[in-house]
Amino acid sequence: MTQIQNASASAPVLAALPVETPEQLEAFEARIAAGEKIEPGDWMPAEYRRQLIRMISQHAHSEVVGMLPEGEWIRFAPSLKRKLILMAKVQDEAGHGQYLYHAAETLGATREEMVDALLSGKAKYSSIFNYPTHSWADVGMIGWLVDGAAIKNQTMLAGCSYGPYSRAMVRICSEETFHHKQGKEMIVLYAQGTPKQREMAQDALNRWWWPSLMMLGPHDADSPNSGVLSRWGVKLKSNDEVRQEYMNEHVPELLEAGLTIPDSDLHQDEQGNWRHGAIDWTEFWAVVKGERGLNKERLGARQQAHTDGAWVRDALDAYAVRESGATRA
Amino acid sequence: MSELPRWEVFKQDGPGKVHQAVGSVHAGDGQHALFTARSVFARRPAAVSLWVARADHIFALTKQELDAGKGLSEGNGGTFYIFGKKTNRRSMTLGDHLGTLEASNPQAALEAARTQYGDDLLVWWLVPDSALVRSTDSAETVESWFAPAKDKTYKQQSSYGVVGQHASAHKKAVRGGDHD
Repeated sequence: MTQIQNASASAPVLAALPVETPEQLEAFEARIAAGEKIEPGDWMPAEYRRQLIRMISQHAHSEVVGMLPEGEWIRFAPSLKRKLILMAKVQDEAGHGQYLYHAAETLGATREEMVDALLSGKAKYSSIFNYPTHSWADVGMIGWLVDGAAIKNQTMLAGCSYGPYSRAMVRICSEETFHHKQGKEMIVLYAQGTPKQREMAQDALNRWWWPSLMMLGPHDADSPNSGVLSRWGVKLKSNDEVRQEYMNEHVPELLEAGLTIPDSDLHQDEQGNWRHGAIDWTEFWAVVKGERGLNKERLGARQQAHTDGAWVRDALDAYAVRESGATRA
Repeated sequence: MSELPRWEVFKQDGPGKVHQAVGSVHAGDGQHALFTARSVFARRPAAVSLWVARADHIFALTKQELDAGKGLSEGNGGTFYIFGKKTNRRSMTLGDHLGTLEASNPQAALEAARTQYGDDLLVWWLVPDSALVRSTDSAETVESWFAPAKDKTYKQQSSYGVVGQHASAHKKAVRGGDHD
């Protein structure tokens, strides 16, 4: 136990892998099986720590980059009410990034190295945010579908075995529900609005439906990191199970709103589950790899924001230096 | 540059409620940490006070560490604010402020806390009084710091309740031409 703590305190992340005994692993897995939460300071396998840092920091980056597609639309909001709602939503995404960076920091990752990994393009974030936003209706559709899918995933993660990640998820879900509902309300109104509004809502659905299904991750058979994450109580449901929950909630509501889901194979099976047609994963991987979509633009916007904020960091540094000097004198 | 120190944040949701450990922020000093904590953790209503303390000034121990015989590092005596995690139930906070006690050093404070607040807590945090920076409790400050978020009811999912209940109920309610 001491070895682990020394390793995480003295090195950025896992410079020296500690020795792990079968007894330690057994006790760890017994705790997870008993529904206990693992807290900072507790013994954990190095691989658990490594996978969590990877997963939580990617999640944090997704929240941060997630501000960009919708943030572009704040100045085009059709009413003051909608502008206030969207500003609050984008602020929330910034806050969610903060909660998650905090959770990753409890595992020994530093804020600085995580932010550097995002800005340098080394770290990944959810590729859903590399799709362009074409109209104001996209703001509503993102809230309904993208946040709706995210809530399904995050509600599952709220039950995960690592305490700080679980707590961040509970807090995020309670705020995210507002994002989901404001989007749904907007689209329901558009779907019964003027012909132009109906057309905008349908067009947004046509473009966001498949990406929202894909954002829940590859099919279970093709999901390389799932094994150890489900074994150690981080992922309590598989990608396909979460996707099914998302479908079962959203398909009937979209249909009831009078919209057409762009999937000719969509149907309900004997168990009542809504089933989608084949997903075009080549598009998904092309967007993940940055061959398609706005990866370059999104990263460029983040890098620019970081550069533009340099004077704030410089001022804080100068203030800290002056204060420490004053204390010494 | 190297990153700013990390500060743990403790939020009080209302008068008569206890402060709870909600997460952390990076900041150059206590005032900066309080401002940042307000932006990060008080965007919704239900806050009347924030405390912050540098993470590296907090004495923390889990039950597992305690059971393994680990103790707290040395430190000065004084007043300690005791926070504890009681259950594994889903929560957005690590734990509550259980109380405050005087002790001659952190280890003595922990032993006193175990006697006073029960020995089955899952995580202990001892925050020296000298490490805490607090938002001002005057009515004016509480109003100017926390009331604005309270009035922004559109951030509450309950503002959209009718949509959640049923899409068709909503259709009936808005028939009449409210299309924003």
